Amino acid sequence: MSDEIQQRFEERLARYQATIALEPTDRMIVGGTGSNYFAEVYAGYTRQEIMYDINKWMAAESKFAEDFPEIDMLRSGRIWAPIFDSVGFKLYRLPGRDLPANTDFQFVEGEWMKADEYGLLIRNPIEFLMEHRLPRVLGELKERGSARSYMAFLKGGMAYMLMAQVMRERVQNLEKKHGLPQPSQGVMLAPFDTLADGYRGLQGIMIDLFERPDKVLEACDALIPDSVNCSLMTADPLKRYPIFMPLHRGNHPFLSPKQFEAFYWPSLFKAVTLLLEAGYTVRAYLEGDWTPNWHHWNQFPKGKILCDIDNKADISRAKKEIGNNVCLAGGIPDRMFIFGTPEEIRSRVKELCETVGKDGGLILNGGCGIPYSTKPENFRAYIDATLGYGKYSDTVKPKLKKAPPPWVAKIPPPRVITPWEVKLKEFGGVTGDETLIKGIWQMLEQRAFCWLRFWDW
Amino acid sequence: MAQLTDLAQALVNLEKERVNAIVEDRLKRGMPPLDIVKELNEGMIEVGERFASCEYFISELMYSSHIMKEIMARLEPLFGQTDLSESGNIVVIGTVKGDIHDIGKNIVVTLLKNAGFRVIDMGVDVPAERFAEKIKETGARALGLSCLLNIAFQEMRNVVDTLKKVGIRDQVKVIIGGQPTDEKVREHIGADYYAFDAVAGVKICKDIYAQR
Repeated sequence: MSDEIQQRFEERLARYQATIALEPTDRMIVGGTGSNYFAEVYAGYTRQEIMYDINKWMAAESKFAEDFPEIDMLRSGRIWAPIFDSVGFKLYRLPGRDLPANTDFQFVEGEWMKADEYGLLIRNPIEFLMEHRLPRVLGELKERGSARSYMAFLKGGMAYMLMAQVMRERVQNLEKKHGLPQPSQGVMLAPFDTLADGYRGLQGIMIDLFERPDKVLEACDALIPDSVNCSLMTADPLKRYPIFMPLHRGNHPFLSPKQFEAFYWPSLFKAVTLLLEAGYTVRAYLEGDWTPNWHHWNQFPKGKILCDIDNKADISRAKKEIGNNVCLAGGIPDRMFIFGTPEEIRSRVKELCETVGKDGGLILNGGCGIPYSTKPENFRAYIDATLGYGKYSDTVKPKLKKAPPPWVAKIPPPRVITPWEVKLKEFGGVTGDETLIKGIWQMLEQRAFCWLRFWDW
Repeated sequence: MAQLTDLAQALVNLEKERVNAIVEDRLKRGMPPLDIVKELNEGMIEVGERFASCEYFISELMYSSHIMKEIMARLEPLFGQTDLSESGNIVVIGTVKGDIHDIGKNIVVTLLKNAGFRVIDMGVDVPAERFAEKIKETGARALGLSCLLNIAFQEMRNVVDTLKKVGIRDQVKVIIGGQPTDEKVREHIGADYYAFDAVAGVKICKDIYAQR
């Protein structure tokens, strides 16, 4: 990486870190979205091409970075489809496979965990996943014990490692060639959303709130250690980037404020607290309308959370109610990117810079993303207006934050299927350096368990 | 408003076992199943009103629908043929082509049925031509278009254009709803109404049919 690109990368990253920390910075972040759907399609590739061909994905991102060199970060796309195909993952319909090649992927609602399986999930998640949930959600496991089902696990594992490599290449391309940091790395769902999205489904969880509320609470708590450990395994080891949390059922009016406080928030609070204690910040998409519930984010230490506010909610109100504690992203309606004019975009950016963002703590964005159908001239107007109206200081130059010290975990270590102690006993002891063998054994075991959780949603 | 019966009140209170017990008791005493359904519908209307006043939320709406669904499964085999005839003002509703999300739409369908409408639920990923055909076939004066994804805006506009193309645009009012929609989207698409939420959607349908 050239010195100039390195310097640009560090400036952008420092600016992002300072913005999240609610510290002074030189200007507003430009293009600070966590989900740039527009960047996926801007270069003219279909959605299918982006999801299946990493070279096209990288080319699309490079083209976008070249045509919009002012942006401060870039993340487009979240699905590398071959891993889904390797195991026949049923929770998504994909462009070019189930849908027209240029249509968005879509989530398939379903009941993938039965109501009487809470006890098993809580007591023995490995058995729950291996024997019950995964055979339902992974089509290639249809005939248990067949060569095809064994190959599904092998291919899925191989695809998991390939995907990590592919994502590393993408991120390196953006960093080394374009000096662009990532808006996040690693992901975690709220425990309640784990149940509501890909386990019980929405219908199921709503019934459970009334028919087995204690089980819902117990399961949410039981999910925390594994969710946190698996999230940390995919997060940035240098702790530069926030961990991403797309939050779904905290959206009003799915739950009453009482139900939110009783069922959704407690386990979310505990899980996020653990991520913060581990030295990370968190970028949470408050999808939908969180107005009655967002005040809970004030419970966290100041400057550790970035909340994306969706179009349905009023970002000015968010600023008043939580903006002194958390950084906000949002403010530009998606339909303005899609239907609006550059003049409307400029006017909206100006208004936000002069109000919600005037003292910092705001990253201009659409509703948790930049829409696919954004008009290029509107994106250009958004960038130019942010640069024009979003200046704070000529003298402040944020500095990169030092990596926090290693974390002494307050939760059980990452779950494994076969602990080293069992394996060692089977060996009958080892003749040489045990640590050389143990380290890799444990690492593979821990990643294997997290592979089982990869299919949560 | 008329006092709710104990059955309707049990449904409003989301007391599934009590609802089941009262239904069995009614059946033992020879009450026609359709009369039991009418009582329960009164309860569902009250649930809808509590949702409208933010006393109940989607959780309560879905659970009450769940109780109703189980009761209907119990009662439907007992209905006479004539009991099943459908009446009421017609609302055609569906999620537009390119979008397969239907949670919000299904909530609207429940509330519309409770309010006495005859609902033709076209499902999800519905092409514009099918909406137009159904409007022509049924003479429905209200068409509800739902989406969760903003890529559906184009398709919603396509539905309105298709209605114009086949010459029935002025026979039907188009209502849009769904997470990414708002008044400006309505304007751009050329729809007649934007429904902020399910309750607003039901009110709009009532207003449409109240017009000459």
